[in-house]
Amino acid sequence: MLTLRAAPSFPRALILGVISILVVLGVNVISLWVPQTGLSIEWVERARTLVWSAGTVVFILTSSIGVGTFAASVSKRLGHTASEQRKVFWGFAFAGPWIVGFVIFVLGPAGASLIYSFTDYKLGDSMQWVGLDNYRTLLMGLGAHGRRFSQAMYNSFYYALLGVPLQIIASLIMALLLNASLKGMKVFRLVFYLPVILAGGPAILLAWRYMLASNGGFINEILKSGAKSFFLFDWLYRGFIYGVEGFNGFYAGIARGNPIGPLAYTIPALLGGAILLTMVRGDWSINRRMRAWRTAEIVGMIVTVMLMARALVQEPLDPAFILMAGVISGSMIAINVWQGRARSALVWQIGTILGVLVSVIMLAMQEISGYGGNSTPYLTALGLTALPAVLTLIDFPEAFKKKAVLVPLGLMVVMGLASVMPAQFGGDSAGMLPRYLVLGSVIERADDTEYLGETLPDTMPSPLWIWGLVAVVTGAVAATHTRYPNIRRALIVFGASGFMLLAFSSLIDGFRYFQAFESAAAAAGQPVYHFALFRTAVAEWPSADRVPLWLTSELWSKPSLILITLWSSGAGMLIFLAALKSVPESLYEAAKVDGANQIQRFFNITLPMISPAMFYNVVIGMIAALQTFESVYIISNTQTQDSLSSAAFFLYVRTFRQLAIGEGSAVSWTLAVIIVLLTVLQFRYSNWVHYEVES
Amino acid sequence: MIETNATPQALASNGQGTTDKTNRGLIWRVVQWFDARTLGLYAVMIAASAFFLFPLVWMFGTSLKTIDEANASQLNFFPATPQWQNYTKLFGEETFYRSYFNSVFIALIILLGTVTSVCLVAYAFSRLEWKGRNLVFGLMLGTLMLPAQATLVPQYVLFHEFDWIRTFNPITIPGFFAGGATLIFLMRQFMMGIPQDLDEAAVIDGANPLQIWWLVIMPLSRPAIATITVFLFVGQWNSLLNPLLYLQRAELFTMPIYVAQKLNLQESPIAWQDIMAASVMFVLPVMVVFLLTQRYFIQGIAFTGTKG
Repeated sequence: MLTLRAAPSFPRALILGVISILVVLGVNVISLWVPQTGLSIEWVERARTLVWSAGTVVFILTSSIGVGTFAASVSKRLGHTASEQRKVFWGFAFAGPWIVGFVIFVLGPAGASLIYSFTDYKLGDSMQWVGLDNYRTLLMGLGAHGRRFSQAMYNSFYYALLGVPLQIIASLIMALLLNASLKGMKVFRLVFYLPVILAGGPAILLAWRYMLASNGGFINEILKSGAKSFFLFDWLYRGFIYGVEGFNGFYAGIARGNPIGPLAYTIPALLGGAILLTMVRGDWSINRRMRAWRTAEIVGMIVTVMLMARALVQEPLDPAFILMAGVISGSMIAINVWQGRARSALVWQIGTILGVLVSVIMLAMQEISGYGGNSTPYLTALGLTALPAVLTLIDFPEAFKKKAVLVPLGLMVVMGLASVMPAQFGGDSAGMLPRYLVLGSVIERADDTEYLGETLPDTMPSPLWIWGLVAVVTGAVAATHTRYPNIRRALIVFGASGFMLLAFSSLIDGFRYFQAFESAAAAAGQPVYHFALFRTAVAEWPSADRVPLWLTSELWSKPSLILITLWSSGAGMLIFLAALKSVPESLYEAAKVDGANQIQRFFNITLPMISPAMFYNVVIGMIAALQTFESVYIISNTQTQDSLSSAAFFLYVRTFRQLAIGEGSAVSWTLAVIIVLLTVLQFRYSNWVHYEVES
Repeated sequence: MIETNATPQALASNGQGTTDKTNRGLIWRVVQWFDARTLGLYAVMIAASAFFLFPLVWMFGTSLKTIDEANASQLNFFPATPQWQNYTKLFGEETFYRSYFNSVFIALIILLGTVTSVCLVAYAFSRLEWKGRNLVFGLMLGTLMLPAQATLVPQYVLFHEFDWIRTFNPITIPGFFAGGATLIFLMRQFMMGIPQDLDEAAVIDGANPLQIWWLVIMPLSRPAIATITVFLFVGQWNSLLNPLLYLQRAELFTMPIYVAQKLNLQESPIAWQDIMAASVMFVLPVMVVFLLTQRYFIQGIAFTGTKG
């Protein structure tokens, strides 16, 4: 103990560090000697593990004291008192195991994987810098691996967006049942929770796999005998089959490549049009306007990040995406500055500048890895994007700031509009926008699957997005600008009518595209075109002897997985139950006195009171759903692997079966960014959560 | 409160309910216990329990069938003549014992290392006041958001560099470094609730933080230690991904891999009765541990959810 109390100094910390490393080396020597004892392989490994464990304990002791000594000597350098130094020493020494582990097992690897993700590293091979190739493959769905990845992402979102809500409803119902005061509730609680313990392991998944066998499996036998004996159940059963197959057929169509083409790009136009139309109807209250503005900000953030990411991986570099991102971020900055919301403005300013910086760094890396294209337009667009942020960050007079933002914004809108003009006006796109404004079609070669599958969807986004952006800007200005009601009304009417025209005609073109694509694919003899599954699934009502195909069919594999997760949703249930128990009885009594019925009490008291638990379950459930692995590994087979594969499973296959470390790292970083973004958004958007004021 | 808003009806039924429960005799209470609502609720609960339990029952029943019965398409939970030799066959396999021993061995080492280090770190975050604590603690909470996938690949490379692939080390050693921010958080929350006077008294008696940790805090934290031990054990016992990545060698396989490998799709008919027998043996320890310690389990989960 005496040495621990000695005066902290850097050399002492260094000596401790050296001792720790010597411990590791010594342990290594011993563990290398173990095999010579002539034991069998498993006993050698077990013995070595014991040696390593003992060594790790010593290593942690010395290195933690080292961390403590180091921290204490830093604190001495900072001029803290002796008692504070001692506290710092003990604090860091106790937290030492975590700190050392964090550096070795988290910080180091995370940094390394960021570097790997820009290389084509394969275990055992030499590394080659490939710039953004890995991300390009993944985000644009290039080649077989890229397509697998986007399929896996579609599956993961299926689990997150469909599975998690179902799971939450199930666990809430279970918790409500358990909350009733009955004898023997503890036993039921145990039974309800038991699946959670088991579902983590492979055994019960195997049992499910066995029970879900489509022919002669336990579940199907039960369903069949139920359908035979009771006609109402038979109808429900067939309806269930029809619904599940139809929905999953449609989803499979969407997940395959780029099938909805123009339809996908209709969404912003439709949304914008709907919002504008509701505004034509009448003035919004200030609260509603603020909520709309917040929603617009969040959507704007997501879209900007997506556009920037897309622009980065596009080859050749496409300035259109950056222009669009610039228009959004610029107008968000402008509106926040005009409205005097300094903090929101700052978030956008810093975010924009960071995004531009990252883009420039990435561009530099592209240049290093030998990119041949012309990057001047791209750089110009980046510069224009950064300009509003820079102009408003510098300490100019307020009045100047308010006007200065408009210049780059206006430039960007003009450039964007120019790029979608018909060729004879100097634009470089096919003049899609003017054609849409007269309800024309942009499909030129309706019998060419190559053109329909690849070229057309690629040319669609830029004009449609740019039009969408112009309208978003007009909408945002219209929603927040109140001084001149006439101008506002005019803007709204202008935006809404243009929007609706665009949405309507791109919708029509979307259906044209479908028909053209499917008939061209059928004529070319392609066996499975995008919506073939959907078509056959909804063609006829299921016959009497139909059974769910569960794990053997693409249409049923994902519902099977969700069924298993529903079976094991007891963890959420316990959290709901704890929350339900803490709702004060007096609230219910007061509501009863006021004459609220059971349903009203549930929605107005119970739900708000348990909303923190709900929030926790949603966040945790989403993260878990995006990381689904074990169940896919156990229940998938060669036919259903692609339709079940989650992002984590794809990562496993790519990295550990095919040893593509570089691409695997890119997958893990993409997934990490998506999870963190989703979590942050959930927190940002958590104003529905009602926290009780601590008394 | 009552005199202004309550309808006479509500008042009457309220009063009635309380007198019924307290003043009537035992038989009447038993009769009342079986009213329609209670019965309905019990029916629902029992149906739900059946849904939650039937995979287990089915698993056990199948493990006693012959291969023909296991692949027959009729509903029978238990075979007429239980085939106990499915189990004796399993017990005859050397790989079964080996995998079982490996699993238990790994779990014990991890439990020892992780629980001790988590208690140390949680102590620093809850009972000690030091400059930089909030920073380090914030960093630790930040790792909760970091998905496991972000470090999975480079950790593999790291262990590859260490020459640890095909050994138990990648699975056991990281635990010694207080692996698992959730566990630290849970432990910290618990330790925060221990009265501060205790360590102040110990400080006056001349104890250093290490002594306080061992003599005062650890004995008082037993319930939380039990909770995290059970959590860790179940997680470890079930864990498939990490062993699959790092062990790569039949001699080192743990039970999850052993069970998963029992399913051989090439053979037909599939020997489900053998797979299910192995599964029953795999599930057994977790079930026993869970049933014995369910109190800590349920406390622990409710604790993380409501306080986190």
